[in-house]
Amino acid sequence: MVMRAFDLVSAETADQAVALLAEHGSEAMILAGGTDMLVDLKHDKHRPAVVVDISRAGDLKGIEITDEGLRIGALVTHTEIMKSPIVQENFPAMVHAAHTIGAVQTRNLGTLGGNLVTCVPSMDSGPTLMALDAEVAVAGPDGRRRMTLDEFFVGPRKTTLKENELLVDILIPKKNVGKPVDFLKFGLRKGQALALVNAASSFWVDWDKNAFVEPRISLGAVAPTVIRVPEAEAYLDGREITPDATAEAARLAVEAAKPISDFRASAEYRRDLIAVLTRRTLENAYDLAKAKR
Amino acid sequence: MDEKVKVADRGKTLEDLKQTDADLRLPSVVEPAHFPIETLAPEARQQTPAVGQRATRPDGRLHGLGQTKYIDDITFPNMLHAKIKRAGIAAALIKSIDTSEAEKMPGVMAVLTGNEIPVNSFGPSYQDQPVLAYERVFHAGDGVAAVAALTEQIAVEALDKIKVEYEPIEAVFDPMLAMQEDAPKVHPPHDNVYATKAIKKGDVEKGFAEADKIFEGRFSTQMIEHVPLEPHASIAEWDGNGRVTLWSSLGRITLGRADISRTLNMPINKIRIVGTVVGGNFGGKNEITTEPVLALLSKKTGRPVKMIYSREEEFIASTTRHPFIMDYKTGVMNDGRIVARKVRLVLDGGAYCSWSETTLGKACILSAGPYNIDNLHVEAFCTYTNKTMAGAMRGFGAPQVCFAYESHMDDIAHDLGIDPLEIRMLNAFEEGSLSPTGQVLQSVVVKESLQTAAERFGWKEFSK
Amino acid sequence: MTDVSMTVNGEERTASVPPETTLLTVLRENFFLTGSKLGCDVGDCGACTVLVDGIPVNACLMLAGQAEGRDIVTIEGLANQDGMHPLQQAFENLASLQCGFCGPGVIISAKALLEENPDPSVDDIRDALSGNLCRCTGYTKMIEAVQDAARIMRGESADEAA
Repeated sequence: MVMRAFDLVSAETADQAVALLAEHGSEAMILAGGTDMLVDLKHDKHRPAVVVDISRAGDLKGIEITDEGLRIGALVTHTEIMKSPIVQENFPAMVHAAHTIGAVQTRNLGTLGGNLVTCVPSMDSGPTLMALDAEVAVAGPDGRRRMTLDEFFVGPRKTTLKENELLVDILIPKKNVGKPVDFLKFGLRKGQALALVNAASSFWVDWDKNAFVEPRISLGAVAPTVIRVPEAEAYLDGREITPDATAEAARLAVEAAKPISDFRASAEYRRDLIAVLTRRTLENAYDLAKAKR
Repeated sequence: MDEKVKVADRGKTLEDLKQTDADLRLPSVVEPAHFPIETLAPEARQQTPAVGQRATRPDGRLHGLGQTKYIDDITFPNMLHAKIKRAGIAAALIKSIDTSEAEKMPGVMAVLTGNEIPVNSFGPSYQDQPVLAYERVFHAGDGVAAVAALTEQIAVEALDKIKVEYEPIEAVFDPMLAMQEDAPKVHPPHDNVYATKAIKKGDVEKGFAEADKIFEGRFSTQMIEHVPLEPHASIAEWDGNGRVTLWSSLGRITLGRADISRTLNMPINKIRIVGTVVGGNFGGKNEITTEPVLALLSKKTGRPVKMIYSREEEFIASTTRHPFIMDYKTGVMNDGRIVARKVRLVLDGGAYCSWSETTLGKACILSAGPYNIDNLHVEAFCTYTNKTMAGAMRGFGAPQVCFAYESHMDDIAHDLGIDPLEIRMLNAFEEGSLSPTGQVLQSVVVKESLQTAAERFGWKEFSK
Repeated sequence: MTDVSMTVNGEERTASVPPETTLLTVLRENFFLTGSKLGCDVGDCGACTVLVDGIPVNACLMLAGQAEGRDIVTIEGLANQDGMHPLQQAFENLASLQCGFCGPGVIISAKALLEENPDPSVDDIRDALSGNLCRCTGYTKMIEAVQDAARIMRGESADEAA
């Protein structure tokens, strides 16, 4: 369907984009990769008077290690994540997660920031980042604020981002750079499929006790937003890494999740997937930890 | 093969033909910069002698060059763009349609509603489908008004301004419920069951009585959209001599001409259809859709009018594959021999008949599978529901019943502890077997095919 | 209106279009390059795939204004006066397209793949074509054609029996 009329303005920097948002108020919407936004406009879900194109904002791009940690600009595309030597070295799971999103063409357009802001429960970039305690930085008229993804995600297609704010970058804290993490997705086909369930697990290993340290388990497509599973994390923390422990964590994850039945899968099927994916991501993360040791 | 062999009666060699073909195949299209002038001589299309020759598709080159012209690649001077307003409600009486606001919009050249269509009904078997719904809505994808405008965007905005007042009525969505006496009627006063068929062979009750075991199972399949990559598309041009030319993605243009002639109430010789290259059909483009609407919009405006279905319209306003509910009851001997089978098929036809009758017939004949069954009783029903209509789609009902009888077969084999291949070999058709309708079958290779397939994918090793 | 200028198949092209116009619409309706197709309009089918600065994207998911100053290659840019692109030749030879509607997008995706990876595995090809839907069931022959074209482009001879 053709889109309704709007004005297009282009922002060269994040600050310019924030200024343009302030100028046009609720009439304006941000356009980055466009893989969600333009689809919504074609389906007449929004009727913005002004579209602020940020796709040329240089300060929203780039992947780098800073004093604070691994910073990924909101405009970084899924393909750029896959090809980044920094990400490849530190977080193969992020490369894998990016690879499971859409297909080549949409990965070349779609951005990490856009994926997080659109905030669908099945987003494939969410679980890995959440399992790494990633934070997002948001710029608004009153400056910038940081928050964890837990705080950022509110519900399906809903975040704490205000009308006049812009997601600037994503930060994986310094202490977690290199933390073993694994991501798995189950979709009905390899390309162009939304996750029925996706999951990520990360932890450090106390090699003296062969025990979980700071375990994180995160699940997608099983609740209104990507969620963490504190019950399973608390259970695992400090516990010896055994098949029984991972199985129990998987059980706790199933218990904590609230999957729904829809045309893609039944809640029952999703619960089975949660158990399997949770267990496998824990096992894979452990293998990764052993390889890195 | 001897390249110099004379081609019958023409005195030309294959070489001559190749040369003629190559000469003819020099590309001649609008943008000369974008394709090769000096072609690398393609393998000529060898009309004859053809056996044993490697063939390529004659249209393959243009496809690959992006030079094939589908409907949406064709444009005419002064062409308008049409859009259709969809009902968005499954069952309702239409109280009023107010198009006045839309007509006032700058850029809107014409608006059309169902009452302006000379004969507002069509369909390949029963003419039960309105071109544009006017008094009653039968499913949510029904068109209720059409707009022709200077741009697609204006046409879309005009649809917003068309106000339709509906009085919702009770809808029925489940084919099993639709078959019940007291179900709301989709097309009153007619029954919801609009086509039935039965096949009887031998004595099925006697067969069940003789059987060692009886198996029962219910199988169902879902509605499937064809999803041709090219959506339905047409362009209509009504000329000053009272003739209409339609460029259409329609797959059956002769049938289409007859249907259009009927709806427009004009002689068929005044209607010309140019069937363009079709970007995928699969049975979904076997009947007319918007052609009469575009013809009338063109008549109203005196300008060519184009309409391309949106992907959403492709799902809600074109035909689909019938969902089936299939009940199987089969009597078998302990050795796996089938002695009796009863099949009951319920086809969910959606709001209109379309090609349901054909689908019903094929499904019935094939529902017993390629197996010798002496005592057979098949009964099948096709019923209206207030959903997107089901029509022709590759196989005409064969894939649905195949899923059912083969699943059923596996269930039986599993229960009897017989190898799934073996139970099929035991029952499969042979040369001279009788089909359920009494046809003597020839060139039957079911068993050979099964054996070869089993060997090739290593069935024995797999099933160990 | 938004004034846009971009390089299309090596030529500077300009147009003045409403801001809500997609790159695909500009290519098809302003530049009359109708090889790129509108299939689903939401980035699922890949029939509109074009190269933007060398990478394949869905032209239906990019505004014309976002393509300002960029280098666009469409299916029309592959063949030249001297002959077809090896991919186009291979797709013709192996009859890899049936209705052909998905073809231009598939060939553009394959071109992007071969430029990055001259010797792709079958899995690489599948991954590269995963954003291009074909409904006439032609992936097998497409993969063979991409392999053939890759061999030609590497200077080997195509194995037609592949």
